[in-house]
Amino acid sequence: MANVKIDNVIKRYGAVQVMHGVDVDIEHGEFVVLVGPSGCGKSTLLRMLAGLEEISGGTISIGDKVVNGVSPKDRDIAMVFQSYALYPHKTVGENMGFPLKMAKRPKAEIDEKVGRAAEILDLAHLLDRFPKQLSGGQRQRVAMGRAIVRDPQVFLFDEPLSNLDAKLRVTMRVEIKELHQRLQTTIVYVTHDQIEAMTMADKIVVMRDGRVEQIGAPLDLYDNPGNVFVAGFIGSPSMNFVHGTIVSEGGVKGFRSDDGLMLPLPETTATEGQAVTYGIRPEHIGVGEGGIPVNVVVVEPTGSETQIFARAGKDLIDAIVKDRIAARPGAEIGFVIDPANVHLFDRATEKRI
Amino acid sequence: MHSKRLGWLLLAPTMIILFFFGVVPFFYVIWVSFHQWNPFAANPGKIFNWAANYRQVVFDAQLLASLGVTFAFVFFAVVSELVLGYLLAQAFMKDFPGKAFFRTIHTLPLIMAPIIVGSIWKLMTTPSIGIIPNLLQSWFGYNLNIGQSALAAFTVTVVMDVWHWTPLVTLSLIAALVSLPPDPFEQAQIDGAGKRQIFWHITLPMIAPAVVATVFIRLMDALRTVDEVLMLTGGGPGSATRYIGVHIFKEVFPRTNYGYGSAISVVVLYLTIVICWLLYVGLIAPRNTKKG
Repeated sequence: MANVKIDNVIKRYGAVQVMHGVDVDIEHGEFVVLVGPSGCGKSTLLRMLAGLEEISGGTISIGDKVVNGVSPKDRDIAMVFQSYALYPHKTVGENMGFPLKMAKRPKAEIDEKVGRAAEILDLAHLLDRFPKQLSGGQRQRVAMGRAIVRDPQVFLFDEPLSNLDAKLRVTMRVEIKELHQRLQTTIVYVTHDQIEAMTMADKIVVMRDGRVEQIGAPLDLYDNPGNVFVAGFIGSPSMNFVHGTIVSEGGVKGFRSDDGLMLPLPETTATEGQAVTYGIRPEHIGVGEGGIPVNVVVVEPTGSETQIFARAGKDLIDAIVKDRIAARPGAEIGFVIDPANVHLFDRATEKRI
Repeated sequence: MHSKRLGWLLLAPTMIILFFFGVVPFFYVIWVSFHQWNPFAANPGKIFNWAANYRQVVFDAQLLASLGVTFAFVFFAVVSELVLGYLLAQAFMKDFPGKAFFRTIHTLPLIMAPIIVGSIWKLMTTPSIGIIPNLLQSWFGYNLNIGQSALAAFTVTVVMDVWHWTPLVTLSLIAALVSLPPDPFEQAQIDGAGKRQIFWHITLPMIAPAVVATVFIRLMDALRTVDEVLMLTGGGPGSATRYIGVHIFKEVFPRTNYGYGSAISVVVLYLTIVICWLLYVGLIAPRNTKKG
């Protein structure tokens, strides 16, 4: 177990720079999720942590030791790949015992540790099977078993749940989190799924185009997104954005969209005439009398909640309410917005105001 | 029903050809092997003589000697081809300037007829005019004469076979290596395996089916080598390179001893099957039963 420090890490492929000075500090025992859209560099960063990819600049340290030139086998890390990367010719037991065998541990110790890991992961009855005889979820657990038998300093997970079906993904999410609570080992976890990030992480690192956009606890990112990208990426369904400017009527600041729609504004340092992006999460919009008049486009009832897509001028706004709304497409209803839930971003810099 | 009949119809030409050029000659050879048949003897017809030919096979000292050198030849040739082929395949997996060019010229021996290969090597190894004896003489002072030294002749036939057939091994191993998923290899690095351990624990088991298939092909080919060796050494000096194919050829053609030649062929076929079966049982079957 150890802390991990990623300091000003740069990655170049020839003349193309894909990682632009990434800094992440990971505390001992922390569950950190790297999240971002495809091509944001999150997997590359993880592979650099693992030593599978060289670093073009900066330093990576594991447990206060700089590991830049250290080969993967000497980093004392364990990794779970998206494809699980099980050895097809080895049984479950041999797969899980392989790292210990490579470390030349005595057979009794290997059997004991594999047995214990199999117990934890409910694999004890599958130890003699081959990977091809297992289901996706079982393979996933074998890959995790192979990681935990080593008792490494850091666990690396590269989109481990993407190949599972939706239901199994939820189960495995809980299992991984439980495992972390039990083992208290540092985990770095890569995913493109912001729900996984929100539910599992102690700390989320949101990345885009080889840069860190924001680092913080899941709810911090949800409540105080630092810019438009993070605001749109964290939270599902994603935040509504309306472009407009700050106006002042009788000394009171307000927001007017490019379309002329007036929306309520919280206390803000934004100045009159400033071009801004107005953000409001669908779950923070209510339906009621005296709200902003909108025209219903689509209503999607899911039972527990109702999602309403409605048009206010040219802007399509998405709301989620707990009530069952019987509005028909084309009907006019009112969207109620509490100014406290509004996020304002500068339109030019896309930064939070 | 209709599609099934159409299937047989489409297969029919191949099956008819295979029947007449494969199945019929096979049984004909077996049938002939039970006869005494020498068309240039006083009695040129086939005379049924039970298993006399097989009895002769068992007591044929020349044949046993021939089998001995054949196995030595096959062993050294196939093992060298496998090791060299794997190393070349690994080299061709990497990127280097001129890779496509080298890969192409390295496969050229494959498309050459064995008789041509034999001729080339004969020219290259003939003392006084061949490049190989000349270079060996001027560099190491070694006098290579495959017409006199049994060991030299044997070695040159092995080298010739390696030269001719290594590209086949390389190609099939490249195909096997290319099709391997990269993840288990990265995983093995993380799991603490060094290069050698990765080879023994991951690479080799994962390409084993391709390796075994290649060994089977090379084994069967090497066991029936005739033309190259016949051209190069004629089976000599003495009977140092009188491999089983050469031996059969000499029994059947110059001596026109058809019945006996057929009997040896059947025995060699049987031996080939036994060797392949042993290899299969030893290498492939344990993996399959373990999986069951």
